[in-house]
Amino acid sequence: MAIDTRNTFVQKNEKKHQIGRRGFLATALGGLSVAFVMPDAGRMFGLRADALTPTQLANSYVHIGTDGSITLMFGGSEMGQGIKTGLAQILAEELMVDWNQVTVQQALVDPTVTYITGGSSAVSGRYTSLRTAGAAAREMLIQAAMGVAGDSNRANYTAVSAIVTYAGPNPVSPKSWSYGALSVAAAGLTAPANPPLTDPANFRLIGKPIQRVDIPSKVDGSAKFGIDTWFPDMVFAAIKHCPTIGGVLAATPTKPSSAIAVVPCKASDNRGIVAAGSVNAVAVVATNTWLAKNLANSLSAKWTLPASTASVDSTQLSAQAASLLATGAALIAEPAVPAGFTPSSYAPVIEPLVNSALGTPTVDATYTVPHLAHATMEVLNCSVRLTYDSAKTNVIKCEIWTPTQAANWVAATAAALINAAQTTPLAASNTIVNTTYLGGGLGRKIEQDYVSQAIQVALVVKRPVKLTWTREEDMGHDNYRPMAAVRVQAALNGSAITAWSLRNVSAAILGQRGWMAPGSVDGQAVEGAVSLPYNLGTSLTEWVPLPAGIPIGFWRSVGSSINTFAVECTIDELAQKANLDPFVFRYNLISDSRRLAVLQAADNMSLWRKSLPAGHFWGVAMAEWNGTIVCEVAEVSQPTTTSLRVYRVACAVDCGQVINPNQAEAQMQGGIVHGLNAAMWGQITFTAGKANQRNFNNYRMIRMGEMPKITVQLVSSNNPPSGLGEPAVPPIAPALANAYSRLKGSRVRTLPFFPGATMGDL
Amino acid sequence: MLTHSTLVYALTQYYFLHQKVTHGEESFLITLDVNGQNLTANVSDGNTPLLWVLRDLLGLTGTKYGCGIEVCGACTVLIDGQPEHSCVFDVSSAVGKKIVTIEGLSAPGTQNHPVQQAWIKNQVPQCGYCQPGMIMSCVGAINAGQHGSEILSEVQNLCVCGTYQRVRDAITTSNL
Repeated sequence: MAIDTRNTFVQKNEKKHQIGRRGFLATALGGLSVAFVMPDAGRMFGLRADALTPTQLANSYVHIGTDGSITLMFGGSEMGQGIKTGLAQILAEELMVDWNQVTVQQALVDPTVTYITGGSSAVSGRYTSLRTAGAAAREMLIQAAMGVAGDSNRANYTAVSAIVTYAGPNPVSPKSWSYGALSVAAAGLTAPANPPLTDPANFRLIGKPIQRVDIPSKVDGSAKFGIDTWFPDMVFAAIKHCPTIGGVLAATPTKPSSAIAVVPCKASDNRGIVAAGSVNAVAVVATNTWLAKNLANSLSAKWTLPASTASVDSTQLSAQAASLLATGAALIAEPAVPAGFTPSSYAPVIEPLVNSALGTPTVDATYTVPHLAHATMEVLNCSVRLTYDSAKTNVIKCEIWTPTQAANWVAATAAALINAAQTTPLAASNTIVNTTYLGGGLGRKIEQDYVSQAIQVALVVKRPVKLTWTREEDMGHDNYRPMAAVRVQAALNGSAITAWSLRNVSAAILGQRGWMAPGSVDGQAVEGAVSLPYNLGTSLTEWVPLPAGIPIGFWRSVGSSINTFAVECTIDELAQKANLDPFVFRYNLISDSRRLAVLQAADNMSLWRKSLPAGHFWGVAMAEWNGTIVCEVAEVSQPTTTSLRVYRVACAVDCGQVINPNQAEAQMQGGIVHGLNAAMWGQITFTAGKANQRNFNNYRMIRMGEMPKITVQLVSSNNPPSGLGEPAVPPIAPALANAYSRLKGSRVRTLPFFPGATMGDL
Repeated sequence: MLTHSTLVYALTQYYFLHQKVTHGEESFLITLDVNGQNLTANVSDGNTPLLWVLRDLLGLTGTKYGCGIEVCGACTVLIDGQPEHSCVFDVSSAVGKKIVTIEGLSAPGTQNHPVQQAWIKNQVPQCGYCQPGMIMSCVGAINAGQHGSEILSEVQNLCVCGTYQRVRDAITTSNL
């Protein structure tokens, strides 16, 4: 937690960066402004959020106006997780006000400050810092009241509903003051570094199912997603990438007569065989998106294809993964590598020990999962309005509206592109990033490709422009969840596991971006395969990097979506070998009390499993994700050739302190559906560099009539909040697979269950 | 009363009727009955899907693009009371018909439609992107005389967030 203890820091910082509207809010409006750091998804950089240092620049502000208005300005993203409501609840709790007295606004973005929303951190990661900032503001207001009353005994003051009341001996009148009236005096004080936080036993708002502030606008069409950005003088762009990943535009195509412009676009980042700066797409600008899309599709663009195109192929990649699984040189992820060894040099030391302990393993199975698309309902899009100087040569202001999980990266993308095109740099304060509502993020909207393209187009057409990807481009040019092959070997003695070896072969998301040192283990690749709760005896977790040209990225629950499938199916298979109920088998192997409590809750919730109708089967799986523990039990029945009927899912979760139980339940329901879609049908296959699935018609998902009845139980816990966006995803695939295996009588080890499923017209 | 939406209508109408057509080949004015108002757009092709006329030319962005091939239902609007997928509905075919979008489901300043009320009460939306289409599909089914679970069997809209359970709860517990 890092709070800026000097509210004057705001002004100093603003002077330095000449941030416009932020300065306006902090100074011209008057009142109290407390700047602080709300940790973001530090895990994206290999850091835990709590590792961020106090020297990081403030990215959030609590402002108390002289009119009594209370505003939280933050740089995060609302993508369906109820962040604005959850943060208002937390702040209002500590400020001793009603939750609806707090307005949550998007802060203007400073490119040197981070605002990443991801890693299930949106609310949980911001919990302590926001409480502390709220408490600091409250204490500063009380201190201001002390100045008025001339009594510094804190016990004589209470703060309730945005009013500080004095109950001490001094004969002052009045004896109570509104926050607005105190805000100017409070602004002259020093923020306390460790203000007293509200005792959780006295929470009025945290943990209450408060209705979400954004929902009314989401039922009447008024909520503005990025794709809804619109100006009367706007033009519309569509993008056409080289259909083959890695291809580069050979020559700029002729502009069709009904197009406003044709703009070659450079790739923003290195992703597999796509090189940053290569012209891998062309945008067509027209008077409406449909026309632009049709013109883009009919362009006779010539592309130069890389020599490696043939190997960007799912069949070849699967064969390569199988080969690496058998003979590839591994890096040791767990146990810890001793001093004097590297993850690779330790492998030949420990492997023989584990192999010896395994002997002839009781189970030895390989699980494979495919590439997956994010397929957010709102396709990628970005709107840009540039303002030029009087000579129309230099951009003096850049305004961007886009659904992004990384507003500061958007600002940096804009600055780099614009400043490469002009000698006078664009002032950082004149790059205005407006983070709109996101029609789903799922990890895709952290990327910069679509933002970069829109800015490149705006620099050519010099008019307000909205770039929209078609669904086909969105699905065909994703940063995909990586494919993987995972081999698990385990030896059983009675009901105890005596040895365990897990080897994951997959491409490194961080490695593809150059964000990790070669030779180190990609922590995200082995998420869900390390720190397992089971007593595994002599155990080993290895990772073998799969060189892959396909762009890959962060997909809801990242590596856990892969490894939990392999681990939890193996545990289930071992339970069968031990002739034990899978709950009982787990109780025997787990000692952690939080996990046992979640397992017990799921057990109690799913007693229906003991009296299922004929033809119905059940399966269970559990996972830990960034501190949140989830156990899911699914009931299924006989499948058709394309589907499995899922009747019920019981879900028990310990996410630490719950902020809003209504939204916690929604996130679990959503995560289960997300994982269920992927388990049953989700796959993107590549043939000679091209994605074969390009729209929902062959990227099937469940619809209303197929929705299982999901019951969610929040297992009470006094731990700090640990996030809910992702943890429900990993257990559902193995829970379904374990049920499906009982139904079929044989194990399902490859996802999806029903490859090639299609989805017809409505 | 000058509301935000009437102001937007006025501005867009002014703009589109007075702009010089500097791009494209033939283009013509087309008048549509949208949410009870006659709105005029300058279209270059009568085959332009209604979705893009609403969104790009009239600034009515509540109706969403999701797939463009009538699989997801995010673009659902009512045309003469029937739910239709505006992503494949030619604008020329919409002339003379009554078009209702999510913005027109309840008039500004009036109470929300019962479906919208049920959505708020049950806290249905997550990201919210598919919900205008989901709501219009439900309203279409209700207009056709369906009730409760009958409505649900008509509604096949895709929701990637997985809000189906709350949609089901909203419909079946609200006497719709």
